[in-house]
Amino acid sequence: MSKRPEEFRLDAGFWKVTGVLGIISALLMIGVAVFPIDSVLREASSVSTSIDFLFRFMAFFSVPIIVFVNGYIIYFAVRYRRRKDEPIASVGSPIHDHRALENTWMVVPTILMVVLGVLSYLAIPQYYLRGKDSAATLEAIGHTFYFEFRYPGLSHSVDEDLYLPVGVPVTIDLTSAEADEHLAVIHSFWVPEFRVKQDMIPGMIVPIHFTPTLIGKYDLICTEFCGVGHSEMRGHVLVVSRADFDAWYAGQQKSAAAKGARTIKLAAGNVSSGQAIFSQKCTACHNAAPFDQRKVGPGLENLFHDPAHPNLVDGKPANAADVAWILEHGFQGSMGAMPNQQANGLSSKDIADLIAYLQTLK
Amino acid sequence: MSTTELLDVHPSSRIHPAPQGFISKYVFSLDHKVIAVQYFITSGLFFVLAGLLAELLRVQLTQPHNTFLDSATFNEAFTVHGSSMVWLVTIPVLTGGFGNLIMPLQIGARDVAYPWLNMVSFWLFPPAGILLFGSFLLGAPQAGWTEYPPVSVLASPGTSMWCAAIFLIGISSTITGINFLVTIIKMRAPGMTWTRMPLFVWASAVTAFLNFIATANLSISLAVLFMQRVFHVPFYDPTRGGSPILWQHMFWFYSHPAVYIMILPAFGIISEVLPTMVRRPIFGYKAIAYSSVAIGLVSFMVWAHHMFTSGLAQWIQLPFMIMTMIVAIPTGVKVFSWVATLWGGRIRFTTPLLFALGFLSTFTFGGITGVFLASVPVDVHEHGTYFIVAHLHYVLFGGSIFGMFAGLYYWWPKMTGRMLNETLGKWHFWVMFVAFNATFLPMHWLGLLGMPRRVATYDPVFHGTNLFVSISAFVLGASMLIFAFNALRSARFGKPAGPNPWGGRTLEWMIPSPPPYYNFKELPVVVSGPYDYGKPLPYRNIDPAIMQLADAPAY
Repeated sequence: MSKRPEEFRLDAGFWKVTGVLGIISALLMIGVAVFPIDSVLREASSVSTSIDFLFRFMAFFSVPIIVFVNGYIIYFAVRYRRRKDEPIASVGSPIHDHRALENTWMVVPTILMVVLGVLSYLAIPQYYLRGKDSAATLEAIGHTFYFEFRYPGLSHSVDEDLYLPVGVPVTIDLTSAEADEHLAVIHSFWVPEFRVKQDMIPGMIVPIHFTPTLIGKYDLICTEFCGVGHSEMRGHVLVVSRADFDAWYAGQQKSAAAKGARTIKLAAGNVSSGQAIFSQKCTACHNAAPFDQRKVGPGLENLFHDPAHPNLVDGKPANAADVAWILEHGFQGSMGAMPNQQANGLSSKDIADLIAYLQTLK
Repeated sequence: MSTTELLDVHPSSRIHPAPQGFISKYVFSLDHKVIAVQYFITSGLFFVLAGLLAELLRVQLTQPHNTFLDSATFNEAFTVHGSSMVWLVTIPVLTGGFGNLIMPLQIGARDVAYPWLNMVSFWLFPPAGILLFGSFLLGAPQAGWTEYPPVSVLASPGTSMWCAAIFLIGISSTITGINFLVTIIKMRAPGMTWTRMPLFVWASAVTAFLNFIATANLSISLAVLFMQRVFHVPFYDPTRGGSPILWQHMFWFYSHPAVYIMILPAFGIISEVLPTMVRRPIFGYKAIAYSSVAIGLVSFMVWAHHMFTSGLAQWIQLPFMIMTMIVAIPTGVKVFSWVATLWGGRIRFTTPLLFALGFLSTFTFGGITGVFLASVPVDVHEHGTYFIVAHLHYVLFGGSIFGMFAGLYYWWPKMTGRMLNETLGKWHFWVMFVAFNATFLPMHWLGLLGMPRRVATYDPVFHGTNLFVSISAFVLGASMLIFAFNALRSARFGKPAGPNPWGGRTLEWMIPSPPPYYNFKELPVVVSGPYDYGKPLPYRNIDPAIMQLADAPAY
């Protein structure tokens, strides 16, 4: 075995740099260990703490990897640069490999991964399994482009704002639906402060389980791309005291009795408000008159009942759901462009109202 | 068998007559080097277009509730940006470009095994690009490069063009995959055993295997999506017995291996650039070679880590989490081996080396955030947010694109016979490296704090960060102009490169630049591995005058 040239041993400079990198890593690791995650993004549910712990665990061990890899890249690049006085063809160390070193950098990451795997495994059941201790099971339904919530004992559903009592374990069954079931798309239910996310999938009901632990108002965000209104698909979660929740719930029950149950079915649209919306938003391009009395688009008087024009401009049959689709998505045709729901500033309720109104015209 | 006999029975022992005429030389060429240049030029064009789309996205995101693009146009822009960066830029450049240009030269072959298939494979690519960008005429696809149904089923007619475009790319990839596999298995020069192959060839072999096996699955998924869109066959329709989750499984069964299709060749490039510029043997040759194989195999068993919020049963999430974490180990082996290669070298700070070091730094970061996403509970918080956008750009831009530029600067002289300007190259690197990190590092933060991906507007509290990101993205885009100028300039003013300007020891440096159409006048005979700097070159049948250049690098 030939002796290694002296210059290719690990020298004092290497150990000095290793020490400095070690100190930098240690300082950053302390920083990661004490970083107040909660003050940057509130930990507002029973699962946020365990997820933040895992995140902190990974960040803690990532720091030395990043510091040492980048530190050694810079140090080696500078230390072993070809000096001006060296011949351009001079060659470096002939060392091909080093078994002990290579074993180390396989075994250490493996151990880290095993620990991380076990810790992750232990954290999973907290929010995936239907909680045995749940005080209530709610339903959350994703629509284009808003959230609907249903509470046990309430005959009507609640849009946009999800009320939850603080400290009460809750299970939420998530799904996605539309009045026309073929138009249902995937949404996702995300409350950053809860660290909880689950897709809302048509045809599937997936439960999530957690306990809100902090009173406050939080954003509920759709994180699965769901179409043209995805960017604006937001709701709120209001975590309130038990007493406030009971008061809100009682109020909902009362108003339900007063209003009659409201469903999201298109059929439940309001004719008079539909008429108001029509005159406000549609009459620039459409007459409430027979088909041939066009402005930019056709007259809509017989939209649902015209034997001469049984299909809509997109070739679909003239039923409520397909009219709603055009209202939501807009249409680009030979006669001109109809803006989509967002551009027209229509809520889903507005669309239901409009369709109810249009169905009365004949 | 004697050497002469070996050479006689070798699959590329004969030299075919030279192609005549413009069409057979430059258009429907069978020459792997010309086809490689065709890939580079075509992909370069799509790189510009897809990059401009990204800049449009960043203009829109300079402020919340911006009206620069409407929501539908914004969705079209990010969908086509992602789709073309993946399928029209990264995969064609790394496999079609570098794979074609370098792999046959490095194994000492006169061409790939099936030159005609190679030509077909390229000519499927421009129509795919035209279909994808042409979809803007009918309303481009809007559901992101992943095109999840039901949105992709309901969306504009352009989505069917997207299916057709990516289908063509898929077929092209499959053909190239089997072509390269056969080439590497059957056409290596006499004496080039598996463990004497350059590491770029190892990476190309695993990539070709993935292209061959995984891409067929993409083609099936696309055909099925097309059938549902056009003929209303309800594969992904839950109301008629299908499932939208089926697409996610089928898509990611391809698209996770595709991540390695996009990164393994970059690993290969780094493994070539480093030993040449450091002028010492690559550290842990076998570890780097076999870890590519390990990554390639494990890549088929991790796809559902993209679906941890898709309602998978808990028991099935666990194996995917564990397999994903396992990927970190061979990847770590590579990174540590590359860093150890720097140790004890005689490092020459050339542009390819800078890009390789930039790759090491950014890819390591992207790899580590990948582990964050492997852990199911943490992924639940990060999934579908800007954290993912940041992670994937660290891997695919910080990894693949930095690797690509390392390779371009390194092999440009071999491809064109002229040098790129080193000063401009270094400017390009530093502007790109700083702007890259300034663009994508803050996105991790945005995602963790609550900014979802694929949105045309955002909470006003994120305004400052987004503005900073956008400005950095404009600088990042502008840095590409330095390269474009450098590339054009080299045609006129580039110094003639000679066969081996960097002092490389792999076989592509043992022939003139640009190589003659038959590559090697006599087939080389290989007697040892390629990276033993300081020892005599392990080749026979090579022009001794060219061999000498390996010990006399010009840069």
